Amino acid sequence: MTCERFRERISAYVDGELEAEERARFQEHLETCGSCRRELADIAALKEELDMMTFEEPSDAALHRYWCSVYNRLERGIGWILFSFGAIVLLCYGGFKLVEEVVRDPAISWIVRAGVVGLVFGLVILFVSLARERLTVSKTDRYSREVKR
Amino acid sequence: MDETEAALIRRCQAGDKDAFGGIVRQYAGRATGAAYLMLGCREEALDASQEAFVRAWRHIRRFDPATHFYSWYARILRNECISRLRRRARRRTVALVGDPPSDGDGKDPALLMERTEWDRRVWRAILSLPAPQREIIVLAHFQGLSYKEMAQTIEIPIGTVMSRLHVARQALRTLLAGEE
Repeated sequence: MTCERFRERISAYVDGELEAEERARFQEHLETCGSCRRELADIAALKEELDMMTFEEPSDAALHRYWCSVYNRLERGIGWILFSFGAIVLLCYGGFKLVEEVVRDPAISWIVRAGVVGLVFGLVILFVSLARERLTVSKTDRYSREVKR
Repeated sequence: MDETEAALIRRCQAGDKDAFGGIVRQYAGRATGAAYLMLGCREEALDASQEAFVRAWRHIRRFDPATHFYSWYARILRNECISRLRRRARRRTVALVGDPPSDGDGKDPALLMERTEWDRRVWRAILSLPAPQREIIVLAHFQGLSYKEMAQTIEIPIGTVMSRLHVARQALRTLLAGEE
C-alpha cells in the first residue's frame, strides 16, 4: 500500500474504525513515515478539539416550547387526515346526489346536465389520478428506506 | 441503545405521545444544533428538526427498537435539511453542491455550549466548508454516528466515508491554520 493510501486512513485510525489487520499494517507504516506521524498528530488534536465542542443544552422552558411545537404538528396531522376524509366523503355524496337530481329533472336543459356530469366525473378522475400519484411517490419516497430499518 | 430508550420507543409504537415527548426532549438540542450546521439559520434549523421529529413519529411503528433511535432520526433530519437546501437553491437559482449555507443568519451558533473565540473560529470554519465536507463533519462529531451509520445515512461506501472525512478534517485544519 502506498503512503497516500495509508494517509487516507489516518482519520479512520484515529476514530478506531480500522479492522485489526489493517490497523497493524498502519502502525507498521507509522514507524517508518514521519509525514504520516505528523498528520496523525494533527488530526488527533483536531478530533479532540471538535469532540470537546458540544451544543448548548436547552433550558427546560425551551424544551417545553420545542415539544409543544412538535406536539401541535402531530395533532394538526391527525386533524388534516380527518378533515380530508370528511371532505372526500361529503364531496362524493354531494356529487352523486347532484348528478342524480340533474339527470332526473326534465326541466334542466341538456347542456347544464352535460356540464354537471362532466364536472363531477372530471373531479373523480382528478382525485383518482392524484391518489395514484401519491401512492407511487410513497413507494419511492426518499424516507421509505430509513423507515424500513 | 439503553433499555430506557427502548422502552420509550415501544410505548411510542403503541401510540403514547408522552413517551415520544421524552425522546424529543432528549435529542432536541443535538438535533437543532446539527440542523443549524447544515442550514446556517437558527430558525430554519428549529423548524427542520421539529419537522424531522414529526416524520419520525409518523413512521415510528416501522422502527426497530433494538437499533439506535438517533442514528435513524439523523437520516430523516439529513434528508429534511437537504430538501430545504434544494428548495432554497431552486428559489435563488444557485448551485447546491459545494456551497456553504450562505443565506443563513450569519451569527455564531447560539447553540454552542462554550463560546470562546477559538470555538467561534471553529464554527465559522465548519460553516464555510463545502456542503459534503460540512455534512460529514457534522455527522461524525456532532451527531456521533459511526462510519457504518454515516455510510447508511449518506448512502456511500464506508471507504468513501473514510476518505471524505479525512479530506474534510484536512480542509478544516487548513482553514483554522489560516486564521491563526
